[in-house]
Amino acid sequence: MLIDFRPHARLRSDKPVDLAASVAPVVSALAGSEWDLGRVRVVCDWVQYKENFRDAVDLRPILSTPEGLEVAVDVRRAGPPPRLSGDSADRVYLEDWGPGSASCVWAFNALYWNALEQWEKASGRGYEQALPGGESDARNRDAAREVIEGLFDVWETLELRAALPEELVVVELGVGNGGQAKVFLDEFRRADRARGTDYYRRLHYLMCDYSQHVLDLAGEAVAEHAGRVSSVALDATRPLTSLGFLKYKVFLVYVSNVYDNLPTDEVAQIGGRTYAVQTRAYLPAQGARADLVHRLLRLGPLLLTEVAPDRFPDLDTAVGFWREAWSALRLEERYVPLPALDEYPVTPRFSGEALRPLLESGADIRMHVSNGAVASFADSLQLLHPYGRLICHDIFVTGVEGYRGPFRGPGKYDGSVVNWVNGPLIAHVGRRCGFDVHFEPFRHRSAGNIVTMTAQVRE
Amino acid sequence: MELPPLPTTVVGSYPVPEWMERLKTDYCRGRMSYGQLQDVHDMAVKAALRDQELAGIDIVSDGELRRDNDIDYTLARMPGIEIPDPVKDFYYDYHEARLATLPAVTGPSPLGLAADYAFTSAQTSAPVKFSFTGPFSLSCRVHDRGRTSQRDLVMAMAGVLNAEARALAELGATLLQIDEPFLAGHTDQVGLAVDAVNAVTDSVEATWALHVCYGNRYARPSWEGHYDFLFPDVLKANVDQLVLEFARKGDDDLTIIDKFGWPGALGLGVIDVKSDEVETPELVANRIRRALRHVGAERLFVNPDCGLRNLTAATARAKLAAMARGARLVRDELPIKQGATV
Repeated sequence: MLIDFRPHARLRSDKPVDLAASVAPVVSALAGSEWDLGRVRVVCDWVQYKENFRDAVDLRPILSTPEGLEVAVDVRRAGPPPRLSGDSADRVYLEDWGPGSASCVWAFNALYWNALEQWEKASGRGYEQALPGGESDARNRDAAREVIEGLFDVWETLELRAALPEELVVVELGVGNGGQAKVFLDEFRRADRARGTDYYRRLHYLMCDYSQHVLDLAGEAVAEHAGRVSSVALDATRPLTSLGFLKYKVFLVYVSNVYDNLPTDEVAQIGGRTYAVQTRAYLPAQGARADLVHRLLRLGPLLLTEVAPDRFPDLDTAVGFWREAWSALRLEERYVPLPALDEYPVTPRFSGEALRPLLESGADIRMHVSNGAVASFADSLQLLHPYGRLICHDIFVTGVEGYRGPFRGPGKYDGSVVNWVNGPLIAHVGRRCGFDVHFEPFRHRSAGNIVTMTAQVRE
Repeated sequence: MELPPLPTTVVGSYPVPEWMERLKTDYCRGRMSYGQLQDVHDMAVKAALRDQELAGIDIVSDGELRRDNDIDYTLARMPGIEIPDPVKDFYYDYHEARLATLPAVTGPSPLGLAADYAFTSAQTSAPVKFSFTGPFSLSCRVHDRGRTSQRDLVMAMAGVLNAEARALAELGATLLQIDEPFLAGHTDQVGLAVDAVNAVTDSVEATWALHVCYGNRYARPSWEGHYDFLFPDVLKANVDQLVLEFARKGDDDLTIIDKFGWPGALGLGVIDVKSDEVETPELVANRIRRALRHVGAERLFVNPDCGLRNLTAATARAKLAAMARGARLVRDELPIKQGATV
């Protein structure tokens, strides 16, 4: 039996994890089971997301020949001896097995952004309050000034060579409540006046978001800059589809807290073999109505009141049902062998060959593929002017070794899904597209996990 | 060799298959021997020639498949240039290069390109275009050149390339092309680049082409602008053809050819190499027809905007076939039945 205890730092914290309390009951239960212990792995995580998709102990079949088993333990929730049977009678499944990116958790995620107003009304707080610190780092004025100064320097250089286009385009993907856009535009105007460059007049700031509700709110926040701002509702994984007319014209693509909220698969290397992690969503409650959940995801809470008025007489009841279902939602997992990397699509454009540099050491590892983030990133790079930059603030794993430590998701952030983003994969894809990708901790706030990623054309 | 009107050709590079990419990277990391890699290159060059012939291309190239990118193959062989760290993570990355001594001619084929040409020409009966990166662009990747001026370095490299060009001509190369992929990013240095081009072509009996584009590294433009920066300096270049990109950028710059009175031939870019979308023969034909308003058919060559390296092989084959068919459509409309010779 292999025991992989990942939350090493927690062993030395003020309130250290009790290894015996969390792992010993699992080992005891396994000892009494019929499993071939030589083919059993016990992986222990400290799951920092209080709301998540896991039980305290989950069983994950490894579909190799002969079959193996991974027992996943959330050491934060050490409890009584677990059941090690595959009995699923008390679970109501919402879907069949499939890659994580295809799970209905992403339909819940999309519903959250589409019906954000209703969720916020029920929860009594805005979504930004769910972020650590209660606001996005995107609103940091020092960070905005630094970016703007960099832009002005590039533009002045191009102007000297008569190579500066008339329109200076900046794109923001995922605008939140418009706070970042307002800070950027305010600082931009101030810097323009101070330098006397007349760039504000030529600026075209495009606010892009999946949610029209969010865009409307953001539009109000930047009303005083209305002449300089447009908004576009788009799928963040395919910005080029809506913004193709801006190919090679954008000087700054700014992305904040978007990538961690885009669909992702996971892959794993176990014993020298590569596996896809398949998931299956379920509700751990007898009598749960899968059909109503599917209706909710298809229609949203408002229409649900119209098609099932007996069950949902008003919007509050429907939103309450949504929130309860979301809270109860869990994911079963299993490992399915991947026969060849190129048969696995990371995105429509990049095959699993992009993962090879991350897996080639052969060491055991499990990582997110960040499919949505990679697609969004690669698409966004095509928007960039030869002297443009992409700047992203998000939670990144910045090295492959980072997957051998803390738990990286998925977790629940309010009504949305959160996963740490696979930085090494993004960097590799960027490199293949001709960009240097650089990561550094967000410099304008001392604590926190936010990383600044910058991509710009390689010399 | 006689050619039809509106002869079709390529700019140089051909798609590098993913498996070859991996092998090249393995070689860079020391996991594969040089001899094995040469076998791979030989096979790939033969396949690229076959693809071009099947697509109906009149003047073919070796696809530059021995070269890891547009710079390093030539720069690493340049006498006097040192590559401090010759092992790369990925073959398409650029080496860092430094100047140890001013490049000087060390023998009859100082860069070994003539042998590459000999192999290629032995594998095809079609006319071959042989391209190499020009001295100005090569110099742009030598960041540490000590006290040597850029002009001295560029002209010294031009001398070495001239010796190589003589060796190529000696082996029968009749169409040579100098690529200057960095020139559009240094628009104030066209004079120097042209001086160097003239040093390269000096006393070499061949048809000379000069290719200038806005960059194609990683299938992206490296710069934006218009070709007017080339003029009037490029009028002094001792070359027979300018090979320029128009498919991605549009026809606006064709008027520049008129305006400045370029007297030579024009290699007309009719295929966008930065897009996976395959042009139709009709679109290619229309692009050629529009160019004919500015340049006579006897002066027009038809080619993609730049090298095909960043496309998939299937896309490249389809684009070349469309280009050849498009050229034939216009060719059939022309009163002349014979084109240039190379």
